[in-house]
Amino acid sequence: MGKVIVITSGKGGVGKTTSTANLGTALAMIGKTVVIIDADVGLRNLDVVMGLESRVVFTSMDVIEKRCDLDKALVKDRRVEDLMLLAASQRNRKDDIKPEQMFDICERLREEYDFILVDSPAGIEQGFHNAAAGAEEAIIITTPDVSAIRDADRIIGLLQNQNIDPISLILNRLSPTLVKKGNMISKNDVLDILNIDLLGVVPEDEGVIASTNRGVPLVHNEQSPGAEAYMRIARRMTGQRVPIPEMREDNFFSNILNWFSRK
Amino acid sequence: MENAIVKLRGYKDGLHLIIKPKVSLKEVEEAIHELINGMNQPLEGTSVHIDMSTTPLTSADLMELETHLTEKYNLNVSGVNLIDDNEESPIIAAPAVHIIPHCLPTDNQQDYGHAEIVRQTIRSGQTTSSLTGSIIIYGDVNPGGEVVASGDIIVLGTLRGNAHAGANGRLSSVIMAMELVPLQLQIGSYVNRPPIGQKPRGYPEIARIGAENIIIVEEFIKF
Repeated sequence: MGKVIVITSGKGGVGKTTSTANLGTALAMIGKTVVIIDADVGLRNLDVVMGLESRVVFTSMDVIEKRCDLDKALVKDRRVEDLMLLAASQRNRKDDIKPEQMFDICERLREEYDFILVDSPAGIEQGFHNAAAGAEEAIIITTPDVSAIRDADRIIGLLQNQNIDPISLILNRLSPTLVKKGNMISKNDVLDILNIDLLGVVPEDEGVIASTNRGVPLVHNEQSPGAEAYMRIARRMTGQRVPIPEMREDNFFSNILNWFSRK
Repeated sequence: MENAIVKLRGYKDGLHLIIKPKVSLKEVEEAIHELINGMNQPLEGTSVHIDMSTTPLTSADLMELETHLTEKYNLNVSGVNLIDDNEESPIIAAPAVHIIPHCLPTDNQQDYGHAEIVRQTIRSGQTTSSLTGSIIIYGDVNPGGEVVASGDIIVLGTLRGNAHAGANGRLSSVIMAMELVPLQLQIGSYVNRPPIGQKPRGYPEIARIGAENIIIVEEFIKF
């Protein structure tokens, strides 16, 4: 029996889709069988980030309305074995799907796959409830911004009401240089407020933009600090003990930043 | 002008009407009349902030002054700063006090000894309330979260959100937290907010209504 994990944030633009794509790919690279589900009906883009846009024929809506089998709607990844995408319908709206239907799809998938990652839409409305319906665990993505943290806090409250446990946190786009200057909220301050387990920290990485636009998840580029962070997180998700490195000023990543700012 | 009873000053957050300490309400009203009539530009419709000492004007005087400013000069009082000139006073947080009318029935002598225990952090968007007594929270109250009790509120964690004690009008209610950095505190019908950017102090604090009906915050030593 696999695990169904919803990846959510409340606020938009903090990296839910990017994280889903990268964690799904990373887990599959480790050798797990993975399905990533786009729950953002009407505004789908997980297929674009994965570079699978042109291969989507059927969506979760087609499965729900029994136009095709679940197996047929799963799109195989181009690069990694055992990674599948279930795309969202672009023609429908979020309230066209009911939480029970989403739950049903997740239940069927977990019989065959190790990890089912559900990419939640932003917001706390029907789309979020659908995404969380089949999940037993949740990963909250937040950036170190007051607004993102506030929304994450709200979402944690809602997930706890649905008895989703454990709820863990990925702190995305942290810049150690800015933290040191006092211009960014630190990891410890975020944890202090949200008070949930930290699954990992992803540093600010310009490579994300290029990888998103090319439709190749960042983890394929082993050199990037963001990719390393996602690989570590994926290992932690499989139960391995991988320490969270303290991001210091003198690491590779900030050296580059320093080098730029010296010029 | 330095010794004037009232002065009008423009600060970053708008116009401030600064009232000299130890003057009577009548003197203040006369001085305001003189000041406003002597001005070239009309002030009507603008907002002012009142900066005044805690002595000897009472809250009733303050309310009368507000009405006076609104009715006679069409000024809008956006807030009141109470400056304490007695250094030994326990006021730590310079309060920005907004007196709002009683919206709930007055104290109906309930049993405030009853306390509800909440074993979780109150997160953004969550509200916990007890209109039959006090609330003790084993956790934090995060920004956007709200606790309402007709009695006291005790937070065994950090209070970062809103807390409203004495919600039925019991003004002797207190709000206590291990770290008190709220967005807003309310006791009965009195609201107070800490200065913007206040950092946690690292020790427990207690908020209660002090003299002149201002919510004061002090280090918690004992009830």
